[in-house]
Amino acid sequence: MLAVVVIVASCDVTELDLADNPNALSPDQASPDFFLNAIQVDFARSIVEPFGRTGAQLTRIDYMSGRDYTNAYSPASQDGRWRSAYQRMMMDIETMYKLTTGDAGLTKHTGMAQVMQAYTLMTLVDFYGDVPYSEAFAGEDGNLNPGVDSGADVYAAAIGLLDAAIANFEADALAEPQYDFYYDGDWGKWIKAANTIKMKAYMTTRLVDGSAVASFNAIVASGNYITSNADDMQFRYGTNEIQPDTRHSRYASTYTTTGGGRYTSNSLMYYMQGNNPELGSFNPSRYDPRILFYFYRQVSGTPGIDAPADEEVLECGLQNAPTHYDGYVFCGAPQGYWGRDHGNDNGIPPDGFLRTLEGVYPAGGALDDFSFDAQINGGGNGGAGVTPVMLASWAQFMIAETQMVAGDVAGAKASMDAAIALSMDKVTNFFPRTARFEWIFGTGANPSDPTSNGPILGLLSDYIGAFNSDLTAEWDAAGTAGKWDILGMQYYVAMYGNGIDAYNFYRRTGYPTTLQPNIEPDPGGFIRSFYYAANAANTNQNITQKSGVDVQVFWDTNPASPGFPAAN
Amino acid sequence: MKRILLLSISFLLAVGTAWAQRTVSGRVTSDSDGSGIPGVNVILKGTTTGTTSDLDGNYRVSVPEEGGTLVFSFIGLARQEVEIGSRSVVDVAMSEDVETLGEVIVTAQGISREKQALGYSVANVGAENLEQRSEGDIARVLNGKASGVQIQQQSGMSGSGTSIIIRGLSSFSGSNQPMFIVDGVIFDGGTNAQGSFVDGNNGSSRFLDIDPNNIESINVLKGLAATTLYGTPGRNGVILITTKSGSSKAAKKKTEITVTSSLFFNEIASMADYQDDYGGGFDQSFGWFFSNWGPSFSEGGPAGWANQSAIRNVNGVPMLNHPYATASPATGMPQAFPEFTNSEGNPVDYEWRPYNSVPDFFRRGSINSNSVNVRGTSDDGNYTYNASFGNLNDEGFTPGNTLTRNTFSVGGRAKLSNNFTIRGTMNYTNTDFITPPVAASYGSNVGGQNASIFGNLFYTPRNIDLMGLPFQNPITGESTYYRQNNSIQHPLWTVNNAKNIQATNRVFGGMAALYAINENLNVSFDYSYDTYSENNTNYANKGGKTGSQANRSGVYQTWNNTNTVQNYNAVINGNYSIGSDLDVTFAAGAQARSDMYDRNGVASTGQQVFNVIRHTNFAQQNEIQYFQERNILGIYGQAEVGYKKFAYLTLAGRNDWVSNLSEENRSIFYPSASVSFLPFSAIAALGDISAIDLFKVRVGYGTSANFPTGYPIASTLSLQTQYFQDRSGTDVVINTTGNVLGNSALLPESMGEVEIGFEIAALNNRLTADFSVYNRTTTNLLVNRPLDPSTGFTTTQTNVGEIETKGAEVDLGYDWFRNSNGFSWNTSINWFRANAVVNDLGLDTDIVAYAGFSNQGNAAIVGEPLNTMIGTAIDRDEAGNLKVNASGSYVVKTGNNIIGDATPDFTSNIINTLSYKGVSLNILFNWVQGGDIYSQTVQTLLGRGVVNQEGIDRANSFILPGVNPSGETNTKQINNSTYYFSNVLYGPNELGVYDATVYRLQELSLTYRLPSAILESTPFGNASVTFTGNNLWFHTPNIPSVTNFDPNVAGLGIGNGAGWEYLNGPSSRRYGFSIKASF
Repeated sequence: MLAVVVIVASCDVTELDLADNPNALSPDQASPDFFLNAIQVDFARSIVEPFGRTGAQLTRIDYMSGRDYTNAYSPASQDGRWRSAYQRMMMDIETMYKLTTGDAGLTKHTGMAQVMQAYTLMTLVDFYGDVPYSEAFAGEDGNLNPGVDSGADVYAAAIGLLDAAIANFEADALAEPQYDFYYDGDWGKWIKAANTIKMKAYMTTRLVDGSAVASFNAIVASGNYITSNADDMQFRYGTNEIQPDTRHSRYASTYTTTGGGRYTSNSLMYYMQGNNPELGSFNPSRYDPRILFYFYRQVSGTPGIDAPADEEVLECGLQNAPTHYDGYVFCGAPQGYWGRDHGNDNGIPPDGFLRTLEGVYPAGGALDDFSFDAQINGGGNGGAGVTPVMLASWAQFMIAETQMVAGDVAGAKASMDAAIALSMDKVTNFFPRTARFEWIFGTGANPSDPTSNGPILGLLSDYIGAFNSDLTAEWDAAGTAGKWDILGMQYYVAMYGNGIDAYNFYRRTGYPTTLQPNIEPDPGGFIRSFYYAANAANTNQNITQKSGVDVQVFWDTNPASPGFPAAN
Repeated sequence: MKRILLLSISFLLAVGTAWAQRTVSGRVTSDSDGSGIPGVNVILKGTTTGTTSDLDGNYRVSVPEEGGTLVFSFIGLARQEVEIGSRSVVDVAMSEDVETLGEVIVTAQGISREKQALGYSVANVGAENLEQRSEGDIARVLNGKASGVQIQQQSGMSGSGTSIIIRGLSSFSGSNQPMFIVDGVIFDGGTNAQGSFVDGNNGSSRFLDIDPNNIESINVLKGLAATTLYGTPGRNGVILITTKSGSSKAAKKKTEITVTSSLFFNEIASMADYQDDYGGGFDQSFGWFFSNWGPSFSEGGPAGWANQSAIRNVNGVPMLNHPYATASPATGMPQAFPEFTNSEGNPVDYEWRPYNSVPDFFRRGSINSNSVNVRGTSDDGNYTYNASFGNLNDEGFTPGNTLTRNTFSVGGRAKLSNNFTIRGTMNYTNTDFITPPVAASYGSNVGGQNASIFGNLFYTPRNIDLMGLPFQNPITGESTYYRQNNSIQHPLWTVNNAKNIQATNRVFGGMAALYAINENLNVSFDYSYDTYSENNTNYANKGGKTGSQANRSGVYQTWNNTNTVQNYNAVINGNYSIGSDLDVTFAAGAQARSDMYDRNGVASTGQQVFNVIRHTNFAQQNEIQYFQERNILGIYGQAEVGYKKFAYLTLAGRNDWVSNLSEENRSIFYPSASVSFLPFSAIAALGDISAIDLFKVRVGYGTSANFPTGYPIASTLSLQTQYFQDRSGTDVVINTTGNVLGNSALLPESMGEVEIGFEIAALNNRLTADFSVYNRTTTNLLVNRPLDPSTGFTTTQTNVGEIETKGAEVDLGYDWFRNSNGFSWNTSINWFRANAVVNDLGLDTDIVAYAGFSNQGNAAIVGEPLNTMIGTAIDRDEAGNLKVNASGSYVVKTGNNIIGDATPDFTSNIINTLSYKGVSLNILFNWVQGGDIYSQTVQTLLGRGVVNQEGIDRANSFILPGVNPSGETNTKQINNSTYYFSNVLYGPNELGVYDATVYRLQELSLTYRLPSAILESTPFGNASVTFTGNNLWFHTPNIPSVTNFDPNVAGLGIGNGAGWEYLNGPSSRRYGFSIKASF
């Protein structure tokens, strides 16, 4: 017996200290650079992009599926972004701070993370209201049920982070980050971005904070904010399809072997066409040339609209618009601009190579040069698009809003014009244009027949000029509410790619009132904030799920849903 | 004279006595097969006169002129006493010893004990109920044959996993699968699924590596009182398998060779009843859609095809343009298939009619099974040996699905003269499981990243010629199908271009040495080793149309799982009598067990040349690596005291130490106690009740513990080298915080169980009954508790709360007729129910979703049964009315609503065994009452319109019962497709839940044993032919019968989830013949 025990004891099988996991690193092996790499990618891909898309869907910049606002976004549909925000990005940030602050002296690492964390916290409040912050990230200390902080407190903390970030960018660093995917180590631009995000914070909270506009204007007066497209804060994607997939998610889901995966918004496309049915001459009023960069048409006509109806691919082309759609685009816009109406939740017909796709900007897709080719993966610019976080044009729109509020209509128009000019410039030069595009717009030879020259259409700059003058005429003809509608619509157009601030603008001002309504006549009250994610509400005792989506966030003092905003 | 007379008388008497002797002869045969039994002791009762039967079972013995009784005895056979009377020939048919009294049972740690001493229930299944079956999976063969054991197949695919749950769930995050012990070897019965249920979780359960034909018997230890000595792995019950190689039973002859050869057929059992009235489209309009809500196949009427512009009348035959000619040019299909465009450049005709697509897709697979067993023994019985070979070729009913298995097994025992007994077994198994990918699907392509053979199959619109439309682009090799943007992967393409393979080589065996110190005391030491090398391959050629871009680019993954279980065990056994009344036995032992799991491999994406499946042909490679190791040390002891063979007390205990918990929490002690009492033996007065043969009351209390697997107390950091790329294309490395919160305070889960039962045998053992009730409580539950990500983590393993399982098991048997050579008929019934309820989940939470999706899965909710199903429900107003929205469909209530309970009310099996002479018939009928299932198959068949639900005309409209948004009774009409498509298929989950009550003809076997008269002139000792069928018929009263859905499917795979089905696979029906002969 003793011999047996000795034999056993000499074997590995008696080892009882095997608690360390050999399949992962241990926390003390962390690198601040590796953390910051993850944080930067996650911020764009898992925070700004999904929230920006949802905001755009609610404001008809993108297409929303869901006839009933209460159920359009289930609690579980918020799980991924809640997890990305807290467990991934911000937990990484909080853990990284321990390696970068104090004596570590990695001020640039810290500052970049603070900017991204501030933006994320504000976004969480914008979408959910009161959210955990002061008690968050403390699982290791035993707090498994973090309580929520008021939205106002979180906003205040976010502004504090931005101020701290600016100080960090101004300070010397012991080492610079391995990668800066946003500004490539230009700390002056980071300071501008932080200031512009502060402007956004003040703008968002202006209904509940009497000093917000003054604080906003102080930054404008300093001039130290994003004023040129070169200062834009954006994340640029690559073209690698797999392992890793570095493409823009809009591209990856749209340019597939089986055609388009997401629908575009009829409402936005129709607006950008100039809202003019007389398009045959291709000289409509207020035709917005950015439409060719935002959207890619695979066909030149829309079935049932300006092409023969085809029930197999666009059944509604055979149907009459519902009565509450009187005056709005229904089913599809002409000329092959074929997306979906707000709220349409029908099944998907085999239209993947027919419907309108997302274009060059911001998805990195194909430029609409009137070639009407069906697109598959690899087409266009391969997905090397951007997620815009904060742009120079948006800063100008925010300034226009303060001017409208102050009654400075002329100032607002000037700021809006400046904003549009910045946006036009950014979008139309986003990628080198195709030779066919240059030929069509009179600046190149016919690529298929180089001997044939001469413009098919006018110069692009002429279209931009015509757009500006038509918009001015429209503005001048409108009353105050109409001017708000125009300002709102133009702001939305410029925000294509990130609708977070569109969603905020809509709840803050109630404009535009002209958005296409939900295809469901009675969709319930508009979403004033989202349900908490199921993985928070179901697991955290201190988060009680909301009674509905009509709960307003702290800065939204407008009338309750339904009834506000007007277009529903 | 007087003396002479006396002498004469005595002489005469003596002579007379001698003269009065006569000889009786006869033959001893087996009542099961009629073969002669050699070596049977035949003794004249009350004397030492006797003989033994010869090799053919014949004997000859001298007996007195008058009367006398012969006693026939042989180990393992029932002793018989036969009055000779005036006969000169006495033939005897002997049967296996089924007498309950004195039966010896193998219990925990291989300790043999008298059955009557056991204070807990043990089920035994013999070889005759296991061999020559059409299923090669031992668990599926066991289905229905032991009470309290629930067997659920992952699907009917050959080689798919199988779940065994004994006495219901006792944990919701730990494994509930039982321990396997094969000939004393701790045998891993785990299932290594190839991925998650969302992306495909094919994988066999490793008890598939055992050939049922090589099994001598199975004992199922159910309760904790029975399994305490095994420690933690025994907590879910123990399946003790004795193979023919490991059996110590002596052969009936010096050498016996048994050959079994079988041929079975394998068919889909759950084919839906497709309708032939309507074809593809929506709203009675034609379209190349997923759905079948299109026009009618008849010409006239409002839904007739004559109204369709796409369908033209060609000489009375409705014709469409061929879909491959009209597909978008971007699919490449019109170019690749010029044959579908005629010389004028127009598409050729494609007939508008129903095609028999789905039934034709499946095949009738054949199953070949052969086994040879050689068994021998030395003359003195001290040396026995056995060798087996088995081969199984099982062709699934799904094209591309096969299972091949070869098993070799040798074993033997030697009783040496120096008080040593040595025994050992060695087994080698090669199992090869091949299947097309199967993954969860929700009625519109596959749900996850990969492909699924069933993802697009069952709802094929009736006008789609699945078998006739070319599935592969002849230029690129990519999948082609009818949808105009080619966004459905052709099921035949999947069959031909994607495979999941698990090729396993397994060796297991053990050696034991026993030394008898004296006749009361022995020590034994044994070592067992079980290792398998599971080679997994998963590939899909490029050109698929579903799943991720990586999957479409072509994937190839190869990895090896090596799993090793080593076990050292030393035990001392004692057996003493104290006085004439007390018997004491005891055992004390120490055990060291090590489990090691090592996974290594490569995952490649981006196939270059089509159909070349080598890593060099793929652009990107990634690593697959995982390692897990856990050691458990234990000491244990057991003592049994028996008093006058009518009262027994057993006390046992074990202490374990585990390697993956913190030092202060790694040790746990668990005791057990049980009592067995035979009142009729105790009270002599009662003993006279001749109708009662046995009455036994037993009470047992047992405890056990469950240790976590993996590394639950460690905090981690994860690193990825390929997270993103910078602008030069260089991979960007990241690290991120681990999402699992390490919990150094983690304790083992502990469970305790009280079991009370009684056994009765009456009417000369004609009636047998065994009742058990038990109550099991699990505390300190190990829970993978989901955390609010705002804690910084998404999950942690922790101990919370309590669940309590109450259950009852009943086994009844009755011999209606008992005539060993004539007609006999036995009915046995087993019935059980087990209901686990969550009593407490700790302070922090009242719901833990533990299987499936977090919002659609199984959840533990305080006060509710375990297996409760949560999902979206139909919203209801305060009065409980269903809410209907303005468009006439149900309002969906999101969140975690209770929509079902997957636990059956009870499971019952009724087994009838009838025999007449050489013919015997065995019928196993299975009845599962209640339990819910969420069936995506049913929803999809209805929601896509490929079947017509009984009594419902799709031309009519529906008005859903409920109230509209203004609170009034709903009057909004919706059409058939809106109801089925938008509500049943894509509406609230609640509408997809059905009561899974099922009546099933689980198994039928008819055996004919060739009479010995025929065999006499052959070398065969016995021979038989058996017809067997499995799952020949089933009926589900509460599931739409047109769907013919079989709820015996585990959509979440082998784990703790229950009640979910996501188009994971139909069930199989098997039948065929088997021949067995021995010589």
